[in-house]
Amino acid sequence: MQKEVPVANKIKTDLHEILQIRHLTDSTFVLRIERKGLTFQAGQHVCVGPPNGIHTREYSIYSAEQDDYLEILVKEVENGLVSPSLKKLKSGGFVVVEEPVGYFTINKALPKNQKYVFIASGTGISPFHSFVLSTPGLNYTLLHGVRHGDEAYDADAYEAGRYVLCTSRDDSGNYKGRVTQYLKKHPFGTDVHYYLCGNCNMIHDVYDILEEQGVSTDNIHAEVYF
Amino acid sequence: MKRKIGFKTLGCRLNQFETDALASRFTRMGYEVVDNSKDTDVFVVNTCTVTNQSDQKSRYVVNHALTHGHIGMLIITGCMANHHKDQLEQRYPNAYVVDNQQKSAIPQLVEAHFKKEIVPSNQSQGGVFSYAPAAETFHTRSMVKIQDGCDNFCTFCIIPKVRGRAVSRPPQAILENIKQVLDYGYKEVVITGVNISRYNYEGLSFSALLRQILAIDRDFRLRISSIEPDSFDDDFFELMKHPKLMPHLHLCLQSASESILLKMRRMYTYKLYKTMVEKLRKLNPLFNITTDLIVGFPGETEDDFQASLKAVGDLQLGHVHTFKYSKREDTRAARMSDTMPEPLKTQRSELVRAAALKAKIAYRRQFIGIKQTVLIDTLNAVYAKGYSEYYIPVKIKQSVPKNTLLKVHIYGLETEGNDPCLLGEISA
Repeated sequence: MQKEVPVANKIKTDLHEILQIRHLTDSTFVLRIERKGLTFQAGQHVCVGPPNGIHTREYSIYSAEQDDYLEILVKEVENGLVSPSLKKLKSGGFVVVEEPVGYFTINKALPKNQKYVFIASGTGISPFHSFVLSTPGLNYTLLHGVRHGDEAYDADAYEAGRYVLCTSRDDSGNYKGRVTQYLKKHPFGTDVHYYLCGNCNMIHDVYDILEEQGVSTDNIHAEVYF
Repeated sequence: MKRKIGFKTLGCRLNQFETDALASRFTRMGYEVVDNSKDTDVFVVNTCTVTNQSDQKSRYVVNHALTHGHIGMLIITGCMANHHKDQLEQRYPNAYVVDNQQKSAIPQLVEAHFKKEIVPSNQSQGGVFSYAPAAETFHTRSMVKIQDGCDNFCTFCIIPKVRGRAVSRPPQAILENIKQVLDYGYKEVVITGVNISRYNYEGLSFSALLRQILAIDRDFRLRISSIEPDSFDDDFFELMKHPKLMPHLHLCLQSASESILLKMRRMYTYKLYKTMVEKLRKLNPLFNITTDLIVGFPGETEDDFQASLKAVGDLQLGHVHTFKYSKREDTRAARMSDTMPEPLKTQRSELVRAAALKAKIAYRRQFIGIKQTVLIDTLNAVYAKGYSEYYIPVKIKQSVPKNTLLKVHIYGLETEGNDPCLLGEISA
């Protein structure tokens, strides 16, 4: 009983040319690379690394599903094995890219007017940038927790009133304090789908707050950044 | 004279399924199939690489065969062959190291070897689902593969790198496979894969597939092998009431600490896991939940560990497979600091094992006085042994042929060992 089935399901890796590097702060930049036909759903991530190294790191895709390029948002990690090398690359150079994977995606079966709250810390905003650009008309509020106002990466990509910048070290944002404090003071309700992306501590704390607010775990989706 | 082929399998049920399918194919090709390397013309080691210990065990099996005089063809396959192919080829230059994608082509490789047309395994036509239904296997229950690969990328796990992307088998092939093994006389079918709850074939979900399997108009028992608790829908719980579906799930927990689950990048919370267990026990208060727990994950505090230890009793787990965290290169957890000294991991692991044995005994005692339907899979001079619908071992001091389903009255529980059997007698 031989069937026509995939011969192998190995993760595909390819070299992609760098089209542009856009610096947002001293340490954070958007790397735009050729798409080479890769398909993905907003919220998925790719492993990316320098062309001459053995290491790659996971980055959520920053660009929209319909863009003809791929973008990732990279923060340089001091003494890191990958991000400092990526920062040194130039347009016309290459990076190694593994095909997109992941389940941190919008459930397309939900109603069109479904209310979403996206909660990000730092570069954890990346999948939400992709969500918003991929799905015009999305009914969302985005809470972005950073230290200083200059980390409001591409804030003008979001509709006025939907983006809430929470700054913990200065008062240049819409709210002075952490996203967790904002969420405690401004509950969004139990019929909302919450998407959390960022560091473990933020996600852990937000889970607790949402639970206290009566939100079902079925409505909470998390992607952890390390 | 018949050629003789030996198989040794390590690790998961998916490996067992694949070995069974290969063994059955070799039987049909006229080979004598055995479960060791003694006097064999071909010895196949189907390896596992999920922990360092699995690697060591896999190497031990290969070395044991060679030091005990195996001079025939040696094939090393399975996840370790994917993960350490170069190393294995260097260390065992006369062995064929066959990766998972080519495993189903081992019969062609063996034939080519004996015809002296040695074909490199990577040129043979393989495929992750190219296994014919197994008629003669090492097991009483027939395993049927529905899925391969995993896209979850848990931070501790190397499996997505070695098994590759999640891919689902077409439902028609699965249904045909099941009907065929039932024709061979199997009474119990176990559906298996790397991450079966993520089964999705052109929009057909795991629950939808399960519904189709259960609708096969034949008399059989269906089991689900190890499953991840991250994508169940309401339909799944509804199907759990079906009389053909056995009331047991090996629902992988890994840790009961919310912060460790996040660090592991598991896609559920402990609270959600508990809710699932409650739902299952509401359907059937005796529903058997078994699980895997990892102790000593980087950053695991005493509180995190105590949460896992407490869960063993709170959830009334029927069995716990305890692993000490073992660093796998090329995973995210390998980059985490705050690793735990080995003696502390060992100590925690022993504490979990002790709690798990206590929970297992308490769980199994509930069956004393109850009638169970047992599928006999072992027979010796003293007793027959098999598994109840709840996947609990039952011993009967009577001679009963293998692959017999019989009603058994449970009258006791063994008092010794790590896996005490229920004791029963054939019921009228």
